[in-house]
Amino acid sequence: MPEVIGRSVPRADGPGKVTGQTLYTADIEHKGMLHAAILRSPVPAGKIVRLNVDKARQMPGVKAVVTAADVPNVRAGWALFDTPMFARDEVLFEGEPIAAVAATTLAQSRAAVAAIELEIQEIPPVGDIDMALAAGARLIHPKLAQYGSVPGIVFNREGNVACKYAYEEPGVDEAFARADRIIEDTYDFGRQYQGYLEPKGTVVQYRDGRYTVQSGHQYVFNLRDRLAQFLQIKPSDVRVQGMAIGGGFGGKLDFGPEPYAAVLAKATGKPVKLIFSREEDLLAATVREGARVRVRSALDKDGNIIGREFFTDHDNGAYSGELILMAGLALMFCRGVYRTGPIRTQFRLIYTNTSPTGAYRGVSGVPMISAIECHMDHIARELGVDPRAYRLAHTLNNNEKLPNGQMLHDAAILMEAYAEIEKIAPWEEMKRTKKPLEGVAIGSTVWLTNPLPASATVKLNEDGSAHVLSGTCDIGTGAMAQGVVGIVAQTLGLDPANVHVVQPDTDVAAYDGGSQGSRTTRAVGRAAEHAAIEVRQKVLDAAAPLMQTEAARLTLSGGKIHDIEDPGKAIGLTDILMMGAFASGPIVGTGKHAEQPIPFDPGCAAGLAFPTLPTPTYHVHMAKVAVCPMTGNVEVKRYIVAQEVGKALNPQGISGQIQGGVAQGIGYALHEGLRVKDGRYMERSLEAYRLPLAVDIPEVEAIILEHPADEGPFGAKGTAEPPIVLAPAVIHNAIYDAIGVPLNSIPLTPENILEALERRKSA
Amino acid sequence: MSPTRPLILLPPSGKRQVTVMDFIYAQKLEEALDALRSQAGRAKVLAGGTDLMIQIARGEKQPQALIFIGQLKDDLATISLSQDGYLNIGALVTHRQICADRHIQANYPALATASASVGGWQTQSVGTLAGNICNASPAADTIPPLLVHEAVVTVQSAARGLRDVLLEHFITGRRQIAIENDEMVVGITLAPPPADTADAYLKVGRRKAMEVAIAGLAMRLTMAGPETVGELRVATCATGPVSRRASEVEALFSGQKLTNELVTQGASLLGRMIQPIDDTRASAEYRKLVIPKLFRGAVLECLAKLGIAISGLEKS
Repeated sequence: MPEVIGRSVPRADGPGKVTGQTLYTADIEHKGMLHAAILRSPVPAGKIVRLNVDKARQMPGVKAVVTAADVPNVRAGWALFDTPMFARDEVLFEGEPIAAVAATTLAQSRAAVAAIELEIQEIPPVGDIDMALAAGARLIHPKLAQYGSVPGIVFNREGNVACKYAYEEPGVDEAFARADRIIEDTYDFGRQYQGYLEPKGTVVQYRDGRYTVQSGHQYVFNLRDRLAQFLQIKPSDVRVQGMAIGGGFGGKLDFGPEPYAAVLAKATGKPVKLIFSREEDLLAATVREGARVRVRSALDKDGNIIGREFFTDHDNGAYSGELILMAGLALMFCRGVYRTGPIRTQFRLIYTNTSPTGAYRGVSGVPMISAIECHMDHIARELGVDPRAYRLAHTLNNNEKLPNGQMLHDAAILMEAYAEIEKIAPWEEMKRTKKPLEGVAIGSTVWLTNPLPASATVKLNEDGSAHVLSGTCDIGTGAMAQGVVGIVAQTLGLDPANVHVVQPDTDVAAYDGGSQGSRTTRAVGRAAEHAAIEVRQKVLDAAAPLMQTEAARLTLSGGKIHDIEDPGKAIGLTDILMMGAFASGPIVGTGKHAEQPIPFDPGCAAGLAFPTLPTPTYHVHMAKVAVCPMTGNVEVKRYIVAQEVGKALNPQGISGQIQGGVAQGIGYALHEGLRVKDGRYMERSLEAYRLPLAVDIPEVEAIILEHPADEGPFGAKGTAEPPIVLAPAVIHNAIYDAIGVPLNSIPLTPENILEALERRKSA
Repeated sequence: MSPTRPLILLPPSGKRQVTVMDFIYAQKLEEALDALRSQAGRAKVLAGGTDLMIQIARGEKQPQALIFIGQLKDDLATISLSQDGYLNIGALVTHRQICADRHIQANYPALATASASVGGWQTQSVGTLAGNICNASPAADTIPPLLVHEAVVTVQSAARGLRDVLLEHFITGRRQIAIENDEMVVGITLAPPPADTADAYLKVGRRKAMEVAIAGLAMRLTMAGPETVGELRVATCATGPVSRRASEVEALFSGQKLTNELVTQGASLLGRMIQPIDDTRASAEYRKLVIPKLFRGAVLECLAKLGIAISGLEKS
């Protein structure tokens, strides 16, 4: 039996997805199922003057029309409870749900939506963070102070700021006062749509006083809890069954169509399907937030950073989701992975009359890390030193601390990552062989693994196969299909083809933190490993009497139980399960995982949702680009990643995640603009919103570094999220190198670049 | 008679009405022409449908009938060369066929390049050259190369038979073409290019495929001597409501010695002539900036294809 761990075993869910057999939410058909559609606000801000659904109710095929009047008058939310299910008296963003219809056919429900009489008195929108922060700005949530929130987390809120966090170490002003040179940059970041293949959708049934929700969702327990909040019921009155998911990237962690379908299902007594159109999905997606980051460094005469200010403002949109939990990242990332002297940092999450924002791979860290890495190149150029050499001279080493007081025990992995890239792409040679308008850049960072807890159950079937039950799905990373399958197969000595993962179900599985932040392989994998170890022990215990020996002498591998001291003696696993299980009972194991707390300085980080960076991993990226002088387009000629993963359970799976994360990072840097004008998106379809294509992305060269972690399954750390976080800055800096002009915004359009080239020419 | 079935389309979000129309499968060209005549303006001709079906789904076009000509491959899906070297491209010839055609690659490479950049592989596989013209989008990729080759469009009606129109006259405005209700395009004809001629199509997009042109430029350059221009033709797209030849720019070059100064002069005149708009894809300002650069790029590409090096000609 070959080792499973460390081998590129093909993913179990691959053939079904490729051949179209996999069932997604949109494929679900129930008897009597109705089709729903939502009436959304056509304007970014306004008062609802008139809402009349009488005509819509009389339309052919219509079974129910619901509005705010038909649901509990509550506000819900992941952490800050500011979100109503339907707009009641006022609308706060274009696309905000106002009514929902269920009818026999989709055409009928859409026709009925169009027949709803709606009159809105428009109000000039607070369209961006500058308007929201301006003196005398209209308050988007006048009752902000009264909103409830989850216990244990402090949200400082005021005016249009949903959450403000600030901290400073002593000596910042003194450092700036004695600085030889001060370098300051302001960077603007656009929004980014997750662009998953499968728009959000759900099918909800109401029966026996309970809701059954079928959705391709990243975090079924969060969805359960949100429904319970909106509907004012017990979480256990909601059953969420996760379906195969056509991508999420953070966009499917919170509620989408589910509460609306749930209300309609109860109103009609029929199953209700609600699938967003692509345009609707884009309009209402909780996209990556726009942000503005101002970073200012005080340098001494030797170029050391002796003080740092880091102010980061993020666009919350009209209501809060997960971003309100991200304040602590401003503390963890304000320094980057470099020595800076004392820091002053501030995070603000700001309400605007725009579509609510949320998590997208690298949540809130992408603009912060991008700003730091772009700023580092700017400093190096001001000093006239090589940006790579400058980084190396100031990079944190083992046992240096982040500003939250957390010790990075193994930061020297960064040096190893630089050295590995140097082997395949020597920096000086990369610089020497550049043609005109080509540029190279390199950058580094630390990233975290989401620390939410996990559980798993492994049941061994009578035929010697195993099923793994957990509360999370395979988001597409292979974390379940390759990672967890591999962990259980290796532990039980099974062929991975005989290990099956089950879709999450809140009625069946214990609580799980969902597929997010690279946690699945590590947390669910660890829980599954514990469960499999328990199963293995039970198998050996059941085998011992049949083999007339002690369980301690037995091992399980290749579908057989062997006696260590008598290699000729073996019994088949299926024999044990057929015979032994009658005596021992069916064989099931359970396991759980919770991260150990990390020591930090409570003086600065107490009250933060993330006071530390759990399971830090280390990353160095390098890119080479060529700028077209004719069009301003950028071609990424080469992209190299060196990434610490703990242990590569499945190298092919990791390479795939690195390729995908970098593709999204390049897309953000160069292709994907989701611009807001007067509170409305300018890009409103995938025709206008340009996701990069395979032809636009180079094959990423991935170097996988392994430093097994004690706590991870077989030493694994989180892997899938971070490949995106450095790519935007590294691309920006490579363009900076190519054209000699910093651009200070992301995405970088051909317009920005051509205009910069013209400026350079005339200068 | 052609079989007719009702076609029902879902309304787009926010629109009330369900679209119901007759779907007419023409088995012969005559049937299509008869159907066009009897529908008297209520019908649209459907070939690949890559533009039309989207426009119907969006409610932008509401024909009462669709006449599907996809069955008429024998009559309309061929690329043929006449004895005197004229190339006829049937109305059902797809972009993929254009890209793959050796004669087009050798004699009208700008057209092959343009067809290869229309949408993605799927669009190119079912979308037709004739459809691209009839849609008359200001950003249509194939129109500039067809303009510089002075393509002739052949239309046919049951009542009046065949009629030839210069493409330049066929496209009358943004999404407007000079065609009668009972007529359909049956083919496009290109004259053989003269000796010492090269062409180029340069397109600006934010990614390498699946792009509606932010701006596009086609050029045909015929040299009369080692450094003397015989004729230069240039046309642009996505730079105004209609793709047009830039005759003032062309006149600058006729019979002239090709110098860096002349190219600069031509490029900047072209930049002043175009009337681009701001849209989600790009600003008018960017288009004004990029078109002169494309002009110079196209001159260089044509010269490179002709194997001519002209000293002093700057790259950008």
